[in-house]
Amino acid sequence: MARIEADDLRKVFRSPDKRPGLAGSLRHLVERRYSEKVAVDGISLRVDEGEAVAYVGPNGAGKSTTIKLLTGILVPTSGEVRVNGIVPHRNRVENARGIGVVFGQRTSLWWDLAVRDSLELLRDMHGLSTAEYWANLDRLVEMLGIGDLLSSTARRLSLGQRMRADLAAALLHDPPIVYLDEPTIGLDIEVKDRLRAFLRQIVAEGTTLVLTTHDLGEIEDVCSRLVIIDHGRIVHDGGLRQVIETYARERVMHVDLAARPVSLAGIATRLAGATVIEERDGLGVAVTFDPLAHTAGDVLTAIQAELQVVDLRIKEPAIEDVVRRVYAGQLIPGPDDSPDDSPDDSPVR
Amino acid sequence: MRRNLWLYRRCLGAQLRATLEYEGDFWIMSVAALLTQGMGIVFLWAIFRAIPQINGWRFWDVVLIYSLVALTEGIAVLLAQGAWSMAVTVNLGGLDTILVRPYSPLLQVLSSQIGMNGLGNLALGGSLFVAALLHVGVAWSPGRIATAAFVLAFAPLVKIGLNVLTNCSAFWLKTPWSMFPFAFHTLGELARYPISIYGVVVRVILSVVLPYAFMSYFPATAVLSLGSSSWLGVLTPVAAVWCLLLGRWAFRRGLLRYESAGS
Ligand SMILES: Nc1ncnc2c1ncn2[C@@H]1O[C@H](COP(=O)(O)OP(=O)(O)OP(=O)(O)O)[C@@H](O)[C@H]1O
Ligand SMILES: [Mg+2]
Repeated sequence: MARIEADDLRKVFRSPDKRPGLAGSLRHLVERRYSEKVAVDGISLRVDEGEAVAYVGPNGAGKSTTIKLLTGILVPTSGEVRVNGIVPHRNRVENARGIGVVFGQRTSLWWDLAVRDSLELLRDMHGLSTAEYWANLDRLVEMLGIGDLLSSTARRLSLGQRMRADLAAALLHDPPIVYLDEPTIGLDIEVKDRLRAFLRQIVAEGTTLVLTTHDLGEIEDVCSRLVIIDHGRIVHDGGLRQVIETYARERVMHVDLAARPVSLAGIATRLAGATVIEERDGLGVAVTFDPLAHTAGDVLTAIQAELQVVDLRIKEPAIEDVVRRVYAGQLIPGPDDSPDDSPDDSPVR
Repeated sequence: MRRNLWLYRRCLGAQLRATLEYEGDFWIMSVAALLTQGMGIVFLWAIFRAIPQINGWRFWDVVLIYSLVALTEGIAVLLAQGAWSMAVTVNLGGLDTILVRPYSPLLQVLSSQIGMNGLGNLALGGSLFVAALLHVGVAWSPGRIATAAFVLAFAPLVKIGLNVLTNCSAFWLKTPWSMFPFAFHTLGELARYPISIYGVVVRVILSVVLPYAFMSYFPATAVLSLGSSSWLGVLTPVAAVWCLLLGRWAFRRGLLRYESAGS
């Protein structure tokens, strides 16, 4: 079942072209010139129930704007959205019942209220029964470790504490869809780990998740689908594992050696297609290989035939590598095959 | 409707608790409100020492209008001060959060502040109102009391509606300052005095275009049966509904062009 359906969404911001200073402002009154900024440029997206989508792209790509369109905060310039079957910006109250939203840069808690008071207000807005409220709150308090934050004012919380309280506020009504826009901004490792575990759990329980982030490490074990956006357009949409297999397939085996080798040429001839480079001042070797061509066992055997191995590590490809390629402009859609036509394999350039 | 009112009370109540933490502010604001309104009375008194009647209005009649302004303003400030936070909420991105909560965004904005200085206004307005009633010497029939109660209950809604309407300019002006609506608020202050003393343009503005006169002058004429247009005062509820509808309309138009803040 489709939870989120977006069809050719566009959002154009119009900002006045004002010269600086009073003269500029006065002049603007007469001339009224505007410049247009296309933040989201024809995005079509369908997210099914229970899917966890990572929505990534460089700064200014249009991620937050898309989230604001999907949540009904902004009215699209053109195109259509349906979330849980309703048009978010036309029916905001109804829409709000079915979604949970966290914007990392901004709190949704009442600044001057104790966290508990904020949660109780939300309870009443959502019309939760006392039983539902306590069941959900207990669970969130335990998973997010926010028991001792409940009586503090939002204003007094640290960034990480506030973020966890915000998550509790967004999930209090157990929404079927959760949007998180950079939820880990400024969090320490421990809190990030806890958050990731938490997200895995709600996804496992069937929550539909859309997550934007620059911290790509957290996508890998939470999301199953990756959407990459740049300049307001989707440049890739597909399964996360497939992406890695297609664009970041190679693995690297790092080995530590007992002594400096005379030559590395022997290894390279045993492993067709692999690249072998020296590391650690000659006391190590890194072999980059395609797992479909050679198994890790083959690679190790080849190295051991030539050299004495002390220790080894295999580096799996990270999603960072894929996205870094996009950032560097290597993975852009061709002029005649738009990402909409072939969402599962955009060409590499 | 009942749910809306109940949630409104809940939001205001939460703000009240938050506001009471800054007890100092409360006293400063209340004293300030008392002083401002009190100064106005001194001013009135000085005028009427020189001219005993203005257009048929005597000192205590004008005090009555004046007290109604203080009362309606007090209620508007106490119950819907959030209208004045619109410029900040809209232009610093705070509206985002409001739009994803399942409660009318406009009612959330209105209930987002509680103006405790409204109590100062209410205290002064109440005393002036009673004092004026004792001096104006109208004959209180049950009918008149009912009219007065009915008309006065709606008068604050006129001001709340106009506050929403003028503050919605924030969606177009895109600054976090409320200068523009404040200019209109100041214009509305003209309705502290019998509007029959003004020229026709001002009168039309205050009674039709932005009917600030329905928060004080017209209700007072209805209560006192004074002047040729005292029947107009009975239309206060109509004016109130009209102003509220205008405010809601402006807010909805604003939401259509709301651009959030880049983040
Ligand atoms: N309210 C606004 N008014 C004008 N332009 C805006 C507004 N909001 C965003 N933009 C512009 O739209 C583009 C997309 O912004 P958006 O915030 O969606 O990017 P993003 O992908 O979330 O970036 P980041 O990773 O930095 O958060 C940017 O060029 C930004 O300058
Ligand atoms: Mg963003």
